Amino acid sequence: MSSKPNIRELLTESACEHNKQKKPSCNAPKPGATTGGCAFEGAQISLFPYADAVHLVHGPATCLGASWETRATGTSWEGRDFTQMGFTTDVSTNDVIFSGEKKLSGAIKYIVELYAPEAVFVYSTCVTALIGDDIDQVCKEASASYGLPVVPVHAPGFAGSKNLGSRLGGEAVLRHLIGTKEPETSTPYDINLIGEYNVTGDMWQYSYLLDELGIRVLSTLSGDGRISAIRTAHRARLNVIVCAKSLVSLTRKMQERFGIPWLSLSFYGKRDTSDGLMAIANALGDADLIERTADLIRREEERLEQELIPYRELFKGKKAILNTGGNKSWSIAAALQDLGIEVVATSVRKATEDDRAKAAEYLGKDGVLMLNPGQEQPGLIDEKGAHILLAGGRSLYTAIKKRIAFIDVNQEKKKSYGAYRGLLTLAEDIRNALENPVFKTVGAEAPWEK
Amino acid sequence: MGEVIQMPSKPLQVNPVKLSQPMGATLAFLGVDRCMPLMHGGQGCASFTKVYFTRHFSEPIALQTTAVTDVTAVLDGGDYSIVEAVKNIRSKITPALIGLYTTGMPETKGDDIRGVASKIDSPLVHVNTTDYEGGLESGWALTAKALIEQLTCETETIDDEKVVILPHVSLQPVEVEKIKDLVASFGYKVFAIPDLSTSLDGHLGEKQAALSSGGIGIEEIRDLADATLVISIGESMNPVATALMKKNPFIRRLHLPHLGGLIASDWLVEKLLEESELKTPPAAVIRWRKRLQDAMLDSHFSLGQTRILVVGEPDQLAGICASLYEAGGRVSLAIATTKSPQLKNLKADCVIVGDLEDAEKAAADYDLIVGNFHCETMARRLGKAIVVRGFPNWEQVGNQLKNDVFYEGGAYFLFECANAATEHRELHAHGSFS
Repeated sequence: MSSKPNIRELLTESACEHNKQKKPSCNAPKPGATTGGCAFEGAQISLFPYADAVHLVHGPATCLGASWETRATGTSWEGRDFTQMGFTTDVSTNDVIFSGEKKLSGAIKYIVELYAPEAVFVYSTCVTALIGDDIDQVCKEASASYGLPVVPVHAPGFAGSKNLGSRLGGEAVLRHLIGTKEPETSTPYDINLIGEYNVTGDMWQYSYLLDELGIRVLSTLSGDGRISAIRTAHRARLNVIVCAKSLVSLTRKMQERFGIPWLSLSFYGKRDTSDGLMAIANALGDADLIERTADLIRREEERLEQELIPYRELFKGKKAILNTGGNKSWSIAAALQDLGIEVVATSVRKATEDDRAKAAEYLGKDGVLMLNPGQEQPGLIDEKGAHILLAGGRSLYTAIKKRIAFIDVNQEKKKSYGAYRGLLTLAEDIRNALENPVFKTVGAEAPWEK
Repeated sequence: MGEVIQMPSKPLQVNPVKLSQPMGATLAFLGVDRCMPLMHGGQGCASFTKVYFTRHFSEPIALQTTAVTDVTAVLDGGDYSIVEAVKNIRSKITPALIGLYTTGMPETKGDDIRGVASKIDSPLVHVNTTDYEGGLESGWALTAKALIEQLTCETETIDDEKVVILPHVSLQPVEVEKIKDLVASFGYKVFAIPDLSTSLDGHLGEKQAALSSGGIGIEEIRDLADATLVISIGESMNPVATALMKKNPFIRRLHLPHLGGLIASDWLVEKLLEESELKTPPAAVIRWRKRLQDAMLDSHFSLGQTRILVVGEPDQLAGICASLYEAGGRVSLAIATTKSPQLKNLKADCVIVGDLEDAEKAAADYDLIVGNFHCETMARRLGKAIVVRGFPNWEQVGNQLKNDVFYEGGAYFLFECANAATEHRELHAHGSFS
């Protein structure tokens, strides 16, 4: 049987909010008016953080050549960090005509012999899917020959969006890895973190708190992840989806198959972090754990409040406009509010139903949900008297023109804004932006334009 | 000079430096004013490319995709996706030109983009740039060639003051400007095609990235063929020069394999003196030549004891290697992204077409690396000195204004390399005493 997942089934995921409303989901991209990444990128995002596995991209030059070493997914793995390496078969005309299967087998052999990974993920791409290379068969044979998991990932770019690709990555893990090994020990406090990729060390901003509470992260998909751990994921007591809707199909199937309940939360900002920790404790259902969690939250919030005092004064009365996509439309808004900044508008142009509802909830009745931020934000800056614009690079000119502070929120992140400690980092960055004279200076008229 | 070694063929690339043809085509179309590059393929090719160049140039990048899906890949020969994409682009904005080019997928199924293009009632240039052939240089050159073949009018008249520059893809925006300025200082009106010097030079402007903002204009491309002289830089630009000369039998041509270092710069100045019938070049040129001579002497001591790895596109390698060689830098290994006739002439002991795994295996042979962002992280891991050049440079800002060409850029470049090598030796020496 082919290991190709059923895409229709993934697109009509019953655990997705919008599918309850019978709205078309995960629409086909519109030619000439599309900005998002493809399914291959989504699979890459969801699986590349496994640092002990080699990720082999079976495709032509663009797929990996343009994308390797782009995401700072931290790992504590002591071996060679494969997350920051690129492997590709770099198919040529010859492979397109005569099939790239032989090259693929050779590449897997080369990798196993030279790099001795714990597993190999093999990604199909548009070209190799179209020429019909049977990567299932190649992976199956390689797996048998070398005695390690060689996992085919069927997420060629044309299959759909980044979000779908992440689901397809999850499917591959479910089909080929989860449940193939038993953990050495089990505890009643074992959880899996799903959809946490540990970008810039986001996960490490709260994982030490879980440790302190005695909650054990049995496995992750896939931040700071290990192949041997994800293979035992079926023995966890709880699946925790972190800030990513794309993997609900996986957690729903794990519930059906292994009886593992799941919940979805975010560790962005003070309120979400506290709520998240408490939700995990509640789900594990142990009175003592719940009490200890409440104590820990109290302690951490108090410490944070102390450390935020110097910023509170500075941020008092400050207003922000936020223009970004997806869950950032509300998660960054929540974090800003935690710092005492009023969020007067946020863009929901690219947000899901769920994200829109959350954004509306966080911003309250006076907050504006922008559907056409490019056109709305200049007017809103004046009308609301905003002091700072947090947006992508394309909006920089608007901020300069209006002579207010700007933060590029879509820039590849260098440091984490996650959990309690990350909020301090965010506060420091916002203070630096507000105090920076550059926006006003650059916005000054040229002598010959006066 | 050195020998070109074809590495025993591996069935894969590990830590690749090769970039694709559609990425080169993207840059070339961004060198045309008010252009919308339209990549025909899955949405990821455009998305990856956009993010890649946005990070390199620290600028929003105009780029759209025909967003072929699994359904349209099977049922559509490109007609639907392309026509629909053009319609959707034009519903929001009116580009002066749409640059339509292919990726691997539509080439695999054999889409006829020329046929589709003929049905589109909008200024459009099309080019086939599959990403399982060639690389960044050929994608750029094929696009420049297509722009000329499809837009430039044939003529037999000549404007004695007009010069066309054909820069290779690795020349950064300010380098293109410096070359234009140099030629202009001999009394010429100068055009570059493609011209990144006014589009991706990092200027603040309104409506960022809706379309390319700057670059050579469509009318200017139409009228290119009355130039008296075409100056091509880089072996990859040979076919482009040929295409332009077909438009007018009277155009004459100068070709430079590269514009790095004293000798190549001298050659160009000598030719420009002959052409312009000036006795001496402008004062600034004379001054900068003296400064470069001095820079070569100041940096020779450090460079003379430094073994260097250079990684990059073939035309870029030629300039860097020549520049270093003239001041005594020992390029022990040059790694090229793709094959090129350029490689047999590189001033390097050993030349391979390879990847960064090959570079790592030869780590004992060099102290300084001149290469891209991926080389930077490798240098840190291996404890080597690094000067970042080439695509991508994601960690540093100011790439668009980094100038290595001609007398002036050559001087700065040698200083940077010599200082990096000296600093590295100092750190290393102190480390061994502690």
